Amino acid sequence: MGFGQFLSAPETKLRIVTYRDVFQDSAKVASIFGEDYEKLSAVIKLDPQDISKLSIKEGDTLILKNSFGKVIVKALNSGYDHSHTGTAYMVNSPWSNALVPEDSGGTGVPDFKDFEVLASSAKGGKVTGIKEII
Amino acid sequence: MASVMEIYQLLPKTNCKECGKSTCMAFAVDLLSRKVKVGDCPPLVREDKYKANYEKLSGMFTPVDNVTETGLIVHADKCIGCGNCVVACPVNVAADPMGAGSGKAPTCDRIILKVEDGIVKAMNVQECRRFGENKILCVACIDTCPTKAIEFV
Amino acid sequence: MENDYYVCTGCALLCDDIGVELEGGKLNKVHTACRKGFAFMKGCTNPMECAVNGERTDIDSAIKEAASILRNAERPLIFGHANSSSGAQKKAIDIARKTNGFIDDTSSFCQGPMVEAIMEGKLKTCTLDDVRHKADVIIYWGADPANSHPRHMSRYSYFPRGKERQRGWEEDRTAITIDVRKSDTAEICGQNGFYQIPVKGDAEFMDAMVSALSGKIPKTSYDLDKKKLLELASILKKAKFGVIFAGLGMVYALDDREPLYKLMDKLNSVSNFHLIPMAGHYNMRGFNENLFEETGYINRVKFSGEEVLHGPEYSVVEALRQKAVDAALVIGADPLSSLPRSVVRYLEEIPLIVIDPCHTLTSVKANVTIPCGLVGVETGGSAVRMDGIEIEVKQIVDTDRLSDEEIMTRISEAL
Repeated sequence: MGFGQFLSAPETKLRIVTYRDVFQDSAKVASIFGEDYEKLSAVIKLDPQDISKLSIKEGDTLILKNSFGKVIVKALNSGYDHSHTGTAYMVNSPWSNALVPEDSGGTGVPDFKDFEVLASSAKGGKVTGIKEII
Repeated sequence: MASVMEIYQLLPKTNCKECGKSTCMAFAVDLLSRKVKVGDCPPLVREDKYKANYEKLSGMFTPVDNVTETGLIVHADKCIGCGNCVVACPVNVAADPMGAGSGKAPTCDRIILKVEDGIVKAMNVQECRRFGENKILCVACIDTCPTKAIEFV
Repeated sequence: MENDYYVCTGCALLCDDIGVELEGGKLNKVHTACRKGFAFMKGCTNPMECAVNGERTDIDSAIKEAASILRNAERPLIFGHANSSSGAQKKAIDIARKTNGFIDDTSSFCQGPMVEAIMEGKLKTCTLDDVRHKADVIIYWGADPANSHPRHMSRYSYFPRGKERQRGWEEDRTAITIDVRKSDTAEICGQNGFYQIPVKGDAEFMDAMVSALSGKIPKTSYDLDKKKLLELASILKKAKFGVIFAGLGMVYALDDREPLYKLMDKLNSVSNFHLIPMAGHYNMRGFNENLFEETGYINRVKFSGEEVLHGPEYSVVEALRQKAVDAALVIGADPLSSLPRSVVRYLEEIPLIVIDPCHTLTSVKANVTIPCGLVGVETGGSAVRMDGIEIEVKQIVDTDRLSDEEIMTRISEAL
């Protein structure tokens, strides 16, 4: 940890869209407690512009929080050829579900694929482990 | 896959000949066809200033131990075993129209692509349309792959 | 070649052409299954033990304890079922009835609305075999089968030749993806076959499609390539046999199904279109059909004596949020993994029973854990594919674990 930890990290509001990934799903079937599953789940895919806005580098960890929960995940470049600043993608997992709003407006269907979080650099903090989530 | 120029740009460009080739361009051409490995360029491995380029090139040429004699490579780490290539391959369709050619389990062993343990495997590759005397630039298996797991070198 | 085929229970495609090679009573090689299916059949590395309050015990004691929890509960929740055989699902419905319990499955926060509309005859549907043999226009809407159902495109929907589609995908079929991002499936459909819409822009896109199909200029509040949309309309009009695969992206984006009904009506007035919900887990559709047969509802049911109550207040999410249940039996699902953390926290406050082949996040918090055989590998049964076709599932290897159906039968008998 360097001098950076004493500076306040810029915070950015992100709209999260979740998706499925066959590699992550296969890792889950092998073991939900396994390293592979964490590696493939605890990630967020951002627009490169949002990565610089957050003053982080690809591969750094980010704190994601809202009133429902808080997790630390690894930030990756989404690799999409279209710009999607302000929107970020997370694979459906206990990490994304820790942030999904509880209120379903009485419908019984939470907003799994569309919710907001506040993101800021975790300044080297470690990715949240699955056992810390449950 | 990168072009020979892109590869060349990442090499030291000093034509030092330590690798045994006369120029860095010659090395790039051989690297592209996988006749040499990234690590066969001594300065690239040795000198710190080339470290970033060395890593970039190593990423482009992930080691593959399953290059078939005809140059077809399946990147097992990227393959999802969907079988799109199996059913799209014209050789498979001709050899096994009701099995592999219809998206189902293969019913004959003259096909060139099949899925085993969740990953596509190449066999009988001498039958592939990209090879032999009357070769054509068939891209059926490459175009239909959602994860770019198949490559020809 | 291996001709004795088995069924993969890795997802709701229930591929029934899987070849296996055994060695020493265990799976050694699996042919034709995709990456996900192979992982599923190979099984987990962390099998669940039979335990009561963290102490290992025998199956009889665990079943006795489970029955006692359910007997003592006034309003137990019987939840899960999507990864469970039809036989076990029917017993689960019995258990819910006997205990005046709530019963719900993962379709409640997943494909429920689509399956319901199909079972009530509000959406025209067809089978995957129809798609293979006839479909010429295929739309993946908010769906990414390359990741969720890897063999979907190769076995049924795009690449295979079929009776009326002899010339193959390049000439005989058009595949289209409508999604908020360029998924792996969208990559296959190509730039011309990909329609990118904003998050929650689905209903407006449906309205715009209806306009375009009616020869009107489509309007949306967001930027849309009108020319491309009109081209889409002309492709859809020419379709002889069209199918929309509705993914969770579409399901979650619609506040109600009206825009979809309007679109399907319009499509069927100008051509011929069907819809199949992309059910994820291998027997979610089976649970919906089994409960529908018993109660007339596909999910979200509470038994109360002779009466059957139904509504969003009986959904697993609302039941847990409102703390309306006082015990839970979870089978064939992992709510702690698949539901919002804030919703499932309540499960830790009530007696909890988990039946599963493997340790799950939910089983960590359970008072009673009862391991069952992995359906499709260690035990057999039947299940219903995403298109409503029933598939018999055979056992491949021997196990000393009971089947999910046997465990549920014994719990039901012990009540």
